[in-house]
Amino acid sequence: MNNLYGSFMAPQNFSVNDGDGIRTIIFFAGCPLRCKWCANPEGLYIDNNLVYKYSAEQILKIIERQEIFYRYSGGGVTFSGGEATLQKDMLRELVNKLYDRGINLAIETSGYFKFEEVKDIFKKFDLIFIDLKHMDDIKHKIFTGVSNEKILYNIKRLNEINDNVVVRIPLIESVNADKENILKTAKYVKANIKNPKIELLPYHNFGDEKYDLLGIEKPSRDFKIPSAEKIQELIELIQADGVKLVSYK
Amino acid sequence: MITERIEMIRRNYINSKPAISYERARIWTESHKRTEGKSIPIRRATAFKDACEQLDVQIFDGELIVGAIGEFRKCGILTPEFSWTWVDREMDNFDKRVQDPYVMTDEQRDYVRKNIFPYWKGKSLEESFLAQLPKETAKVAVDTGIVDNDSKWRQAVGEITPDYQDVLFKKGFGGIIKEAKEHIAELKSITAENMKKKEFYESVILTSEGIITYANRYAEKALEIAAETKDEKRKEELIKIAEICKRVPENPPTTFYEAIQFVWFTQVGGIISENPLALNIGRFDQFMYPYYRADIDNGIISKDEAQELTEALWLKLSEWVWTISANTAEFFAGYNQFQNLTIGGKTRDGKDATNDLSYMALIATEKIKTHQPGLSVRIHQDCPREFLDAVTHLVSKGTGFPAIHSDQAGYQMLINAGYEPEDARDWNNCGCVVPHFRKTGEWTSAVNINFTAALEYALNNGYSRITGEKIGLDEIDPKTFKSYEEVENAFYKQFDNLIEHSVISSLVAQRLHKELVPRPFLSSCIENCLEEGVDLVDAGAKYNLGPVLTGIGLAVTSNSLAVIKKLVFEDNVVDMCTFIDALKANWEGYDELRQMALKVPKYGNDLDYVDDIAIKMANYYYKEGHQYKDINGNNFNTAFMGISNYLPTGKVVGATPCGRRAKEPLSEGVSPFAGSDTSTPLAAMRSAAKLNQDIHSGGTLLNLRLNQDLVNTKRGQSNLGNMIQTFFALGAFHVQFNTISTETLIKAQEHPEEYKDLLVRVAGYSTQFVNLSRSMQDAIIARTAHENY
Repeated sequence: MNNLYGSFMAPQNFSVNDGDGIRTIIFFAGCPLRCKWCANPEGLYIDNNLVYKYSAEQILKIIERQEIFYRYSGGGVTFSGGEATLQKDMLRELVNKLYDRGINLAIETSGYFKFEEVKDIFKKFDLIFIDLKHMDDIKHKIFTGVSNEKILYNIKRLNEINDNVVVRIPLIESVNADKENILKTAKYVKANIKNPKIELLPYHNFGDEKYDLLGIEKPSRDFKIPSAEKIQELIELIQADGVKLVSYK
Repeated sequence: MITERIEMIRRNYINSKPAISYERARIWTESHKRTEGKSIPIRRATAFKDACEQLDVQIFDGELIVGAIGEFRKCGILTPEFSWTWVDREMDNFDKRVQDPYVMTDEQRDYVRKNIFPYWKGKSLEESFLAQLPKETAKVAVDTGIVDNDSKWRQAVGEITPDYQDVLFKKGFGGIIKEAKEHIAELKSITAENMKKKEFYESVILTSEGIITYANRYAEKALEIAAETKDEKRKEELIKIAEICKRVPENPPTTFYEAIQFVWFTQVGGIISENPLALNIGRFDQFMYPYYRADIDNGIISKDEAQELTEALWLKLSEWVWTISANTAEFFAGYNQFQNLTIGGKTRDGKDATNDLSYMALIATEKIKTHQPGLSVRIHQDCPREFLDAVTHLVSKGTGFPAIHSDQAGYQMLINAGYEPEDARDWNNCGCVVPHFRKTGEWTSAVNINFTAALEYALNNGYSRITGEKIGLDEIDPKTFKSYEEVENAFYKQFDNLIEHSVISSLVAQRLHKELVPRPFLSSCIENCLEEGVDLVDAGAKYNLGPVLTGIGLAVTSNSLAVIKKLVFEDNVVDMCTFIDALKANWEGYDELRQMALKVPKYGNDLDYVDDIAIKMANYYYKEGHQYKDINGNNFNTAFMGISNYLPTGKVVGATPCGRRAKEPLSEGVSPFAGSDTSTPLAAMRSAAKLNQDIHSGGTLLNLRLNQDLVNTKRGQSNLGNMIQTFFALGAFHVQFNTISTETLIKAQEHPEEYKDLLVRVAGYSTQFVNLSRSMQDAIIARTAHENY
């Protein structure tokens, strides 16, 4: 399998917000979702000037040079995207090799995949971040282009095979940062995950520059970060429901 | 919390301007007029004693630790026996100069010109040095920025760590006098050597008597003020101060308070004796701990009181301002006198050494926010998490403190230099980043060598692109180089030549130090000097190491060679002719080529292509430098230190192949060229750690700027701690962080008056940002802030 090639954005060393310790983020290119606020637009497609071909071997080499930093910090590798499961053979190859090396592994997924096809891979993660962008299926379709049905299903299934699932909500004013949606999300998480955990990721527009580079239209300016007071209210709502609020900041 | 008293002293301190006092120089000169014809050690010791007897006694409001070196709060002194011509030339401009100005009045200037300088004409170290330095070396080494050792002939050496553990706290200066007398009595046989030893002991007796008298005068003054003081609490304090000054430094201290006052008196003695650079405190948390522990256990002192005294010492250490020439100030910017204080690490028997005082020192630096002492920490692999957390917490405050060192690498550097394991384990820092030990005599910052100048001469037939002068060796027309190897060889040929001149200028300076400026007071703080009766200048310490050569511009030079290798000889996208023309034109009209040059791999990004060139250069540097022997037969040592030397050394070098423009700064220590480490701090660390740092026993320095966001949470600070441990596991010695946001720095440039206490890391040390020249400030802002994590 060593000649396996995949499409990736530039790997990011020294990442500290997507799991424990000092981590390397491997961004897989290509995504089944079309979130209107996407901060990594280069990850939507596999053919643009910010996407590179790497062999599994090359990715493993990049990771090897960072291993000593994981060792001291309890860090490791986080797979992100785009959507890593779209290139499931590559993901499996990397996860198996790194799992055997004893490296801490995490994934950040949109949740949009066929569970049975990747179940073996997900068993090997130390930590799974799964996005849940909206509980309302119609709104989910409007803002991400796909239904949330598969995602809600996969949250349940992941709980069967992994104890460390964190549901992430990209918090965006006028999209999903209302009390009703957050409360529903919290209830769903509580009902379906053994150790219910939610992380709130307030929206940011750091990706705007990349839209220019790619020549794509920037996300609507209507997307705003909710106020600090608002976020505090939502946090209380989540915690009142017995869900643990986690943060990797 | 900071006490009201300390805050008041701190405010007074911050709001006073550095001023020059000529009192010490006046007394020194008058004394020398009286001692004409006597031996130099006796004359210097007598002058020291006279200064101790005559200097104004100053107890500032609210002070707990007393002793001043002159009449001003922030005070610099003159040492005309070392040099005075530059003072004469520059002092009219002292208050106007850009870097490190001083206040000096016309009356003061008149006085020193009439009464002090004339006496020293033809007698100073500087004049002898300049008269004796071979012409070919002078052309390369005097105020050129190419080879620079002016701090060794315009100033005293300093670079010493008084031995509190085995000498001062054990004997007190009273005990030292007693021992010196016993030694004299034992020197029965009449030999030239014994006569010299006798003279040494006599000089030590004089300086010891001097410092005891100095303290006693403070005791008297304190009682005098106490008698007039209405405030009962202050009256009591002053009476206590008087008791302490009567006891120390004549006798060994019996309490923490006495011990800390002893430390300051020792500093004062060192300052009066020679105004030294890098008069280190050493391992404060180790030698002070027994007194702290006993006082706490016996209820003599509370932890808060000990903290207040520690902070009082920090302020005293900051009061003294190093008086240096405009040239030296460019190399050592920020009024820094490099009084290094080391905490943490391991004990002599290899156990973890951290204790309450280690933490209290970190807190004192966080609260006092002055540039002294130079706080250094030793971090070993099994260092308590709590200590590492306290260290990264201080880093997050953006003061640039502490300087963080690998315990293991420091140990290894000393082992490589020939120390016994127990002594190597007991190392402290000297100046900025030199592993040192209290039984050592060494010039730890002897010469700065401009690596990039060597490359310029290789590529310009020995001529400087800036001045057009021929400074380097003959070389073939650079346009005719046929291979990368030829270019590299030409570089190393010029490089060897610069090292040769560095060695020559050090040897001339070393000989003159022996003849002209023996150091009885500081020698009396070193165990072996006292036992053997040999002054520091005559290699009297247990360990005598060769002078340290400091390399500047490692990154720029490696980057430049990499560019020539790749663009000219591998990719063949440009020929030597065009390239040399581009450098001559300072890149003007060659923007496309410059862009190509900028894209070639740069040191600091964990790219072997260029890092390999840096490794080769650093290894070569060690071998070449280390083979020379100094005046005492000891091998020279190498270092990649920082200080602020990468600015002046850049001003004298034209455009370089890496894309750098003429006169722009070079690179410091083992740090990447500013702005070229575009990957992550981890990659910069990996590049730096590839160099075999532990062979450079003079120390190595890596300076990184981190975005504040990384360290403003506990979790971020933990990650930083882990990052540091990783760096050290890779074999590196030192790292230091600036974590102030760019916006803050820009605001401080705009409104300096509001940011008087903003400390930043310059290189190997921290200083007040607003005290730096504009170009130095800009250079700090330009350092890559690592934001992408």
